[in-house]
Amino acid sequence: MNEYLFRKAMPKDIPFLADVVIAAEKGVSDKLSYSTLFNLSEDQARKFIIAMFEEEIDGCEFSVSSFLLAEYNGEPVAAFGGWIEGFNGEMPSRVLKSNLISYTFGRECIEFLKTKANVMNGLISEREPLALQLEYLFVSKEHRGKKLTDGLIKGLVDEGMILYPSLKKAQIQVFGNNSNAIKVYEKNGFQVASSYKATDAAVLQFLPFDEKFIMEKNF
Amino acid sequence: MDRNEIIEKIRHILVAVLKHQNFEMKDEMSAADVAGWDSLTHMIIITEIEKQFAVNFKLKELNKLTNLGTLIELISSKLDQK
Repeated sequence: MNEYLFRKAMPKDIPFLADVVIAAEKGVSDKLSYSTLFNLSEDQARKFIIAMFEEEIDGCEFSVSSFLLAEYNGEPVAAFGGWIEGFNGEMPSRVLKSNLISYTFGRECIEFLKTKANVMNGLISEREPLALQLEYLFVSKEHRGKKLTDGLIKGLVDEGMILYPSLKKAQIQVFGNNSNAIKVYEKNGFQVASSYKATDAAVLQFLPFDEKFIMEKNF
Repeated sequence: MDRNEIIEKIRHILVAVLKHQNFEMKDEMSAADVAGWDSLTHMIIITEIEKQFAVNFKLKELNKLTNLGTLIELISSKLDQK
C-alpha cells in the first residue's frame, strides 16, 4: 500500500473521473445508461459527463469535490465518490444531477429519454438526507486486489465524519448482478438494506440490470 | 403572459409528464410533494417548460429553484426579458 497515494480529485482529473463514471455505470455489463437512455454514443456521453464535472457543482455524483482518488506513480488508478446528501441545505443530489443533465445534454437527448423513461419505473430511489452517499467506484484492473476500495471507503468516511461529526450512516447503490462489488462492500461492513426492481423487463436493454440494492453501514 | 397563465401552462406540463393531477398548484409546492416527480421526470419537466415557454435556463438558475413559486418567478423574468 505504501506506493499508493490517496488524495482528493481536482479539475485536472476530470477525464479520469469520466472514465470512472462510465466503468462504474456499466458494472459487469456493456450498458451505459448515459448513452442508451439518451440516444448517444459512448464518446458523446463521455463528453457530456466531462461537461457536467466542469460545471463545478458540489453535492452530487458529478462533483469533482465528491471524489477521492488513489494514485500510483503519479497516475490516478482508482476512485470513489462520496457526499453527504443535502448537507448545509444543499439541493437533493437527484435535483442537482437532473439539472446538470438537462442543461448539458440538451433538448434532443431529453426528448429521446421521454420515450424511454417508463422502463425505469420501480428502479428510482430517493437518497437519504444527511447520509454519506457513495457512488461510482472504479479500480483499474492491474491494481485490483490491493485493498484500494477499503482505503477509498475509509478516506471518504473519515472525511464525512470531519465535515459532519453527527454522521450516522453511509449508503451505496449497486446493481444486483455486481456480485464482486457487493462482496467488497460487505467486507467493508455494508449490508443490503433494501432493493428496487424495475417493473418493465425492457429495462435490460438500457441498464446493466433490473434490480438495485441499497447497501448501508451504520456508525 | 400573466401569472395565472404561467401557472396554468405549468400545470398542463406536469399533468402531461406525470400522468396525474393529484397536486395543488401552490407556490410552496416542491418536487418532493408530487408523486412521480423524480430525477427522470424532473429532466423532462424542465425541458418541456423551456420548450413550451420558449426560454432557456442557466444551470445556476435551475439550482436555485426550490418550489413552484420560484419557478414561476424565473419563467416570468425570462418572458419579461424577451
